[in-house]
Amino acid sequence: MKTNRSRREFLALGLALPATGLASTTDLARQSLQSAFQSLPASPVNLAYRTLGKTGLKVTTVGFGCMITSDASVIERAADLGISYFDTARGYQHGNNERMVGAALKRKRKEIVLSTKTPSGNKQSALNDLDTSLRELGTDYVDIWYLHGKDSLDEVKDELIEAQQIAKQQGKTRFAGVSTHSPQLLIPALVKKGSFDVVLVTYNFTMDKEVGEAIGQAAKAGMGVVGMKVMAGGFRKVKPGDPLASKLRRDGVMLAALKWVLKNPNVYTTIPSMTDMDQLDENLKAMAEPYSAVEEKILARQLEFITPLYCRMCGKCEGTCAKGLPVSDMLRYLTYAEGYGQFALGREEFRALPPEVSEVRCNQCPSCTVSCPFGVKVAARLSRAQELFA
Amino acid sequence: MKSAKLAITMLMLASAARAVEVADCRLVPGWEQQGPRREFVADNLFEYMDGNAEGYLIYGFTRMEGVTCTSGGDSIIIDVSEMTDADAAYGIFAANRDPNQAVAPIGMGGQILPRRATFCKDKYYVELAANPEKDHTPALKAFVEEMEKRILGRSTPPDALAWFPTEKLMSARLIPESVLGLRLLKRGYVAQYESGKAFVVAEESAESAAAVMNKLRERIGQTTPTKIADEAFQANDRYLGGLCVFRKGRYLGGFANLPQPQDAASLATALVGRIP
Repeated sequence: MKTNRSRREFLALGLALPATGLASTTDLARQSLQSAFQSLPASPVNLAYRTLGKTGLKVTTVGFGCMITSDASVIERAADLGISYFDTARGYQHGNNERMVGAALKRKRKEIVLSTKTPSGNKQSALNDLDTSLRELGTDYVDIWYLHGKDSLDEVKDELIEAQQIAKQQGKTRFAGVSTHSPQLLIPALVKKGSFDVVLVTYNFTMDKEVGEAIGQAAKAGMGVVGMKVMAGGFRKVKPGDPLASKLRRDGVMLAALKWVLKNPNVYTTIPSMTDMDQLDENLKAMAEPYSAVEEKILARQLEFITPLYCRMCGKCEGTCAKGLPVSDMLRYLTYAEGYGQFALGREEFRALPPEVSEVRCNQCPSCTVSCPFGVKVAARLSRAQELFA
Repeated sequence: MKSAKLAITMLMLASAARAVEVADCRLVPGWEQQGPRREFVADNLFEYMDGNAEGYLIYGFTRMEGVTCTSGGDSIIIDVSEMTDADAAYGIFAANRDPNQAVAPIGMGGQILPRRATFCKDKYYVELAANPEKDHTPALKAFVEEMEKRILGRSTPPDALAWFPTEKLMSARLIPESVLGLRLLKRGYVAQYESGKAFVVAEESAESAAAVMNKLRERIGQTTPTKIADEAFQANDRYLGGLCVFRKGRYLGGFANLPQPQDAASLATALVGRIP
């Protein structure tokens, strides 16, 4: 479904305030590797560093995704402890997030790598976004400026690449990046294009090896690879009080998930979301402790738990049902009812299906022709949907 | 039992129908819908909000209905998000509002800017965005007025916001998890002042609030008992500065990020007096 472009425009609105003469005089080429990374302060925690591809930026393997952080003190403490990569975006909280991040990191600006993103779809509005971002962040440059959430090459327009080049020339960003939730689709094309220094990708233990291979391709091409959604963002979809919550948020799962990502040497840093000091302390351990056999088991159990229930909507099952059932749609209706307590919505959607589909009963088929590459027990789940809604 | 279930189902259906009525281009004469209606739930919000979905999920996002309306060369994107409750709807509104602009009395609160309008009422958070670049205030206002009428339910901000002293208050909002960056303080309200910030967290009972107080003392380390409300302490924390935390019944509250704990204590005393 490609409905997000209009939303991007939406997010850009009201954010692209007039540039306020933030003409940067910073010569970033001169600055580039003379930053404070060469004299990193001693930290009470063990920090691990990797170099972010051809950018040469040395960053801690655990960075900080600031999107949902409410209290600046957590960001300040992370910086004090030595975390060196912080990520925000123009669209987060309609710009309020950049403002908070800028204030929290003011003292440390030269010691950290700071990235932001633009959701804009054209050159001028992207450049306006960047000026606004710089003003809100209280800095005259960002280290990485991403095109936000591009999932196909069509969205990575030449005029946006031009905007990034202009921003580099003006010293407003040091490096150009793209963020994507479809790394396996987009990375090969980005590598071919050769215009980007960094790629920010969704990567976690629930993903198949194609994603890992695409990441390897980016790393081989010299791109800096940053991992996001490293804790399989789905955990957050489970609401407090949901019986699934305690299972999905079991002790050790988050840390294990983060370590799993860092096991891949082609992922140079990660940006887990952190809202409190406890999460920060836990995530720091991922730099100090290796991924263990126990954690392998924790994640295997977690995956086993998630897999039969959660449709990733990858679309690979489309058209494979002998009776023509829209499999992923029906699984989604079931999620409405079971996952979110929206039984009426699930049933409403189910009943809107054409009769030749809604009247099918999976238990009448001798065997199921649908096979989920991620192990969702499709026949059982569809039968459950029919039992509930039909 | 059956009738209770039926009532709940009816309520859910009524709620779904209401969201449909709210996001409707025909509300303002001269506007018509362009393209299909959009609908998202937490599971697929990322398809629409790629890169920003978590900012909704953290506030208890349940579902979203949206339409794009056009009139001549102008378009307005309307999205109505249903959150778990009215407090959550206010929370996401306050987190996303432009802090440099005043909040208008639309529902529980709203803002109408030249190209963007937002408001929250009951458990709904409504966003409108207009294209192309020009002042769309009259059209946005017309839509907002009609939409606001169609959303029934609470139109007053959360009570807790009125408890914060108003002098030098800059903003107040719901923090959906980890108030002051402390996991112990699960969900509550934080008011930002020109200097320092105040908070209020409601626990289930006085007993559970007392237990949280004990854990906070342990967490913060060196604390000094203070005579405020049922119990209180002052401390100096590297990140939270001079702070004072009190418990009044099932409420925990206080001030932080002040130069001295004593400053926090005197302000906390004023806050206690406003909590019922």
